[in-house]
Amino acid sequence: MEDIKAYIESGILELYVLGDVTPEEKLQVEAMAAKHPVIKAELDEIERSMEQYAEENAVEPPEHLRSRILNSIVTNLGDDNTFASKTEAVKDNVVALPATKTNSFYKYAFAACLALLIASGIALMNVYNKLQESNTQLVALQADKQHFANKVNFMEGELGILRDTSFKFLKLNATPHAPAGSAITIAWSKDKHKVMVDMANVKMPVNDKEHQYQLWAIVAGKPVDLGVFDANPDSTDMKEMKTIAAIKTDAFAVTLEPRGGSANPTMDQMMVIGKF
Amino acid sequence: MSKKRKISLSEDELVLALRNREKVAIEALYDMYSSSLYGVISRIITDTATAEDVLQETFVKIWNSFSSYSTEKGRLFTWMVNIARNLAIDKTRSKDFKNQSKNHELENNVTFIDEQRNTVYKPELLGIKDLVETLKPEQKSILDLVYFKGYTHVEAADELGIPLGTIKTRLRMAIQQLRKYFN
Repeated sequence: MEDIKAYIESGILELYVLGDVTPEEKLQVEAMAAKHPVIKAELDEIERSMEQYAEENAVEPPEHLRSRILNSIVTNLGDDNTFASKTEAVKDNVVALPATKTNSFYKYAFAACLALLIASGIALMNVYNKLQESNTQLVALQADKQHFANKVNFMEGELGILRDTSFKFLKLNATPHAPAGSAITIAWSKDKHKVMVDMANVKMPVNDKEHQYQLWAIVAGKPVDLGVFDANPDSTDMKEMKTIAAIKTDAFAVTLEPRGGSANPTMDQMMVIGKF
Repeated sequence: MSKKRKISLSEDELVLALRNREKVAIEALYDMYSSSLYGVISRIITDTATAEDVLQETFVKIWNSFSSYSTEKGRLFTWMVNIARNLAIDKTRSKDFKNQSKNHELENNVTFIDEQRNTVYKPELLGIKDLVETLKPEQKSILDLVYFKGYTHVEAADELGIPLGTIKTRLRMAIQQLRKYFN
């Protein structure tokens, strides 16, 4: 008993309650208390008085702190699902936490990114379609341009003929074989040995598939083949025929011949004839 | 263990409820002990916001590590006040609170804080002047240094320039006086 009394009076129990002992001393005091009810009682007395002393010196924490602290703990409770009956309150608290805000921010940011991506994709598709359309139009325009360039070249050639003073124009008039009013205008250049048929002024019946008109030059009483042509009302060009070597002709005539032309003219099919 | 009966039934109930992780328990715990614990924390940490944080950390730690508490080791409050004091001291060491608290004289600190805050005056504490008179100034300063400021008795001896043996004696005498006063 003496030992126990000395132990109590050493002040170690007070230091134990004040939390001012080493881990070894702590274990020792706890062992002593478990062994000797007197020491346990003494400890309890000290603890009670210190607890009351703390109460005397208590400082009321601010009002708002209560809900903040309880919420922070109850949030953990929600994870444990310990309080099914209080889930509503727990839910409210979870929502109120700032951490949730951060989460939902990323959720919204992700959704916004996704929406932006989709919108960009649609816009890209639109732009792509328009680009395709423009390319098609460009190709069409280039074809048109080529067409007009060709036409201009061609017309310049025709204009050249009209300006060229070496060309003489000759109107071939209808023979009794041809319908009245049939006529063809040709141009002949002795110097250039060229003969052209003015297709815009071919006033002849339209030939069928098996036949073509054939132009002849009568040189020194003999017919010279100058090539074939079709009487097509849509043609407006100056059709260049075969070259002609002769510089003097008796006449020019057109006969209707089987397609491809004949070596000698079928005289009873002579449609028009004209002389210089 | 016969002394267990001295522990009030409400504390037994509280401990049981805390073991069962009941929400009521944490609310009761806060209502019963928050001001006492805050009294200790706010004397170590003068900055209000930091002290509030430490009080929160204290309750979270009490809740999370409650399985390590055993009634055999002592009263619930003793265990809790040690958690609160240690967290508060850790906080002062982690930041430069040391400089801040040096601005106040140690002996005046408790009074200083009492002037700054709403100290609880419960009806049963109307005899507060008696208590102040009960403790001699030299007893009170040592007790407050160790209990409220978290000094070890060795540090308190250095601080006050008093031999270790005297410190221990005065601490014990101070607590003896409190026991007499509260009984």
